[in-house]
Parts: sequence; structure tokens; C-alpha cells
Amino acid sequence: MNVAALRRGEIQRLLGGSPVTGPFISLIAIFVLFGLFIPGFLSLRTVSNIINATTMVGTVTIGVTLLMVSGEFDLSVGALVAAGGYLFAFNSTGDGSPVVALVLAVLIPGLLGAFNGAILITTRMPSFIVTLGTGSIFSGAVWLLSGGSLFQTLEHPPFYDLMNGRLDIVNNLLGSGANFRAAGVWILGLALVFQYVLTRTRYGNHIFATGGNPGAARAQGVRTNMVKVLNFAISGALSGFAGVLLFSQFRSVRVATGEGVELNAIAAAVVGGTLLTGGSGSILGGLVGVLLISTLRSGVVQANIIPADNFEAVVGVTIVGAAILNHWLRGRA
Amino acid sequence: MSSNGDDVPVVRMEKIVKRFGTVVALDGVDLTVNQNEVLCLLGDNGAGKSTLIKILTGIYTPTSGRIAFYGAPVDIRTPAEARALGIETVYQDLALVNLMSIARNFFLGRELARAIGPVRWLDMRAMNERTRAALADVGIHIRSASEKVEKLSGGERQSIAIGRALHFGARLLILDEPTSALSVAETRKVLTYVTSAKERGLSVIFITHNMHHAMMVADRFTILRQGQLVGNYAEGEVTQDDLADLVMGQREV
Repeated sequence: MNVAALRRGEIQRLLGGSPVTGPFISLIAIFVLFGLFIPGFLSLRTVSNIINATTMVGTVTIGVTLLMVSGEFDLSVGALVAAGGYLFAFNSTGDGSPVVALVLAVLIPGLLGAFNGAILITTRMPSFIVTLGTGSIFSGAVWLLSGGSLFQTLEHPPFYDLMNGRLDIVNNLLGSGANFRAAGVWILGLALVFQYVLTRTRYGNHIFATGGNPGAARAQGVRTNMVKVLNFAISGALSGFAGVLLFSQFRSVRVATGEGVELNAIAAAVVGGTLLTGGSGSILGGLVGVLLISTLRSGVVQANIIPADNFEAVVGVTIVGAAILNHWLRGRA
Repeated sequence: MSSNGDDVPVVRMEKIVKRFGTVVALDGVDLTVNQNEVLCLLGDNGAGKSTLIKILTGIYTPTSGRIAFYGAPVDIRTPAEARALGIETVYQDLALVNLMSIARNFFLGRELARAIGPVRWLDMRAMNERTRAALADVGIHIRSASEKVEKLSGGERQSIAIGRALHFGARLLILDEPTSALSVAETRKVLTYVTSAKERGLSVIFITHNMHHAMMVADRFTILRQGQLVGNYAEGEVTQDDLADLVMGQREV
């Protein structure tokens, strides 16, 4: 092997060795590009606003990515965010205990997620269809539970700050408009835990195998149905937790909370290098995808390139572009 | 298994019937594999070869019939139970997960882990090293165990799947059409693993469409047609043409 071949091999490994590399380079490039053309973009204010805008989609994407690696989709996560929000709201206000409220708001959406998985493995219907249906059912249940109305409170227990308050100490230390909130820490922590689960544990190995080749996985004794049900439960639980984080910040929740997060989470996962067909992906990549889309929204709106109402089109173009880039990098690796 | 003597068959399947709804896939089929023997299971598409093997490996449950493993009656309900008995199977298209590394595939379902208290993590270094060593031990040399399977040729993939089965102490190795998608050179290599498995004291069930490959490695032939047993023939008892005719049902021997 000569030097040129060696170097090319190294570069390819660097670019394609990890599924996170491509999206991460894109994120940095887009951030720097906006920084060059938009005055004041390169600031802690912008960075913290970009991160704060990802509270819901960031939390949900972790579970959705894990599920997608095992070969399934969850379109019911939006309804489960609202469910988590109401469960936390009802049980943490008045005489309720916020800790009990948190447990219920994570546990019940988690069980509903497991219910998704149970339907999937018993009917063998595609998860797209199953969760499209159960999403509407869950949404209807939330409507009944809430009476269809907005719930808000003026109460402000310290537990809300623990969940998603301003990180005053950090913000004061950094100064210059920094506005970081606790959700960012929770999301980063959860992403690291689930990245570890996916890449460094037996269960993670079984997730990859379940999504990559379920027949081969079963032949080696992997319980693919159990993997899927558990991943649906994780996806549901994290959606409920997203509802908790949102309510802790805004102290209000409505039936439509969470609407649209289903597809945004899938988009973020794909931008972050996860295959739509399953078997490959990365939780940290999903998080990078979330940040990339959020950076774009922020930049496009601030740059005022096109009417702000239309910025979704730019986001759409980037999602497709990122997916093509990832595909190309995968082919080169 | 010396307590059972050397003449006890590894597997004896008797009067196996399998119905899918109204379709009779297997109609009272017998299959015997002796110790240290390569049995070729032959039959056309739809003859019931795969169904019979999937019953033996715990993927299907037979409608009726008996299975004995080293003389003892067994009830194989899951692939894990088959593996616990020492029955390892290499499926044509279900062998490996292409998007995963060689080592992750090699140890799939038997991952090596380290632990501190309740926190467990995969011991990737040990898995990579043991994969390399284990494959080298059966004559398969790979560049790197952390390489993804999708980068390998079809023959290399089959080799690794067979190497995995050999390494994990199979007593009975089942190869389901292992050569059907391979080049001539790759096929030759895979056939040598069949021979080497026998040299290591294993028994092999080799399922194939290809009479030529069957003639090269088999000690005995079992032929199925339309869910029924056509017959058992020892090596040397039949020619390649005989086999083809028996499979297609053009004559009896």
C-alpha cells in the first residue's frame, strides 16, 4: 500500500467512519456561513436560542432514532408529548407532587408506546400505519382527558426550574445574552446515555441486528419482537418527558402541543445519518440533525432572505441535501 | 456422546408432518443424520427442504412427528433451543447483518461484555481479537474484524457464517443453499469448509440444488419431492444423473 492510498483510506475513514461526521461538518459549515453573512449571528444569544428551540424535537428524536435503527417508525409521538404535558400539568399543580407527576408523565406514554409495539408484533402491520392510527387515538384520549382546552398555571414550583429553568449561574458567567436552559442539559445527558446503549451494550447490538436483518438476528437468538416493543416504550417515555420539559418552561399545554414533531424527528434522524430502512444510525447524529435544522430556521429567519413564513422550504431543501450527502459519504466509506 | 455409542444418530426425525392451513408442506418425512457424516438434502423448489430444516432449527413447529437428538426425544420450539443442543445453521440470505461489523455479527446473541456493578458494556476489543483468531483457526483470514460485512464478497460472508457456526461448538452444522449465489472459486472454498467441518468431527446437513456440489461432499443423500420422502442413498450408490432424475421425479432407483 503506497502513501497516497493510505492517506485516501484515512480520509475516507475520517469522513465515513462514523455516521455523525457528515452531519457534524454540515452543522459547523452552516453555522459559520450564517455567521459570515448575518451581523450578530455568532453570539451566545443565537446559540442558546437555537438550542432552546430544540427542547421538544431534541428529546423526541432520541427515541425516534433508536426506534428507526431497529427498523420502525413512530408517528404517535406528537400525541404522546401532549399526553405527557397534561399528565405532568394535572398532577404537579394544586396539591399534586411534581415527582409523582413526572413519573406518571413518563410512565404512561411509555406504556402507550409499548402498546404500539404490541399491536405491531401481533398484527405485523407496518409501524407507519399502526402509529398513524394510534396517534389519532392517543390524541383523542388527550382531548377527552383535557376537555379539549388549554391548561395553564401561574404556580411555579422549584421542580419546574429543575426540569427546564434558566441556568442563571451559567448565563451570568457567560454573559452577552446567553440564555441557556436546563432542557439542553437533560437532552445532552439522555443522548449520551442512549448513544452508549446503542453502540456499547448487548441491547444496542440487538437493535442494530433487528433493524439490519431481522431474520439473521432471530436465527442467532435475538428476540427482535422484544427489542421493538421496548424501543417503542422508550420512544413513548421520551415523548412524555418532552411534554414535561415544555410544560416546565411555558406552564401551559394544549391538545395541539407536539403536533408535527413526528416528521421533524424523522427528518432530524435522517439528516443525522440514520437510515430510513433501519440497521444504521446514531443518537448523537440525530441530535446534530436537530441542531442543524434549528440553526437553519434561525439563520434563514434572521437573514430575511425570503419571507419568514416560507422558511420551511429552505429547511426542506437542506433535509434532502443532507440526506443525499450522507448517502454519498456512506457509499465512499 | 460416547455413552450413547458411536452408532446413535445425531438426529432422527420421524414421520414429520407440517401443514400451513390446507397446504401440506411435509407429509410424514423421515430424516436421519449419523455422526460425523455429511448428508445432502436434495429437492426441487417447494419440495419441503427448507420447511424440514426450519422444524429442526426451531423456527417452525411440526404439526406432528418426533425428533430425537443423540437418541433422546427433544422438543425444539425456538432457534435458541436448537442452538443450545448444538445445532448451528447457516442460512443462504439470513446469515449475517450486512450493516454490522464482522465481530458484532460473529458474537451476535452471545456478545462479550465487561461490567462494573450494574453497568455493562461490550468488550469490543476482546470480540475483535477472538473473531480474528477463531476464523483463522478454521482457515479463514480476514483483514479486520471491525470491517462491515457489506464490504465483503458473498463467499467471504458465507465463510464467516460457517466459521462462526464451527467456532461455537456446533455438533450439527446445517448449511442452507450456501453456494447458490457464489462464483466457482468461492464455491470451492465453501465446499472445503464442509469437508473441514467433518474432519473436526461434526455432522453436516448440506442443502443444495446443485447435484455436482452434492456429489463433491456428500456421504449420503436424502431426496424430497412435493413434501414426501423419495429415498436415502449412500455415496457411490447413485450417479449425478440418477440424483437429478430422482429430484425431478422422472424415475425411481
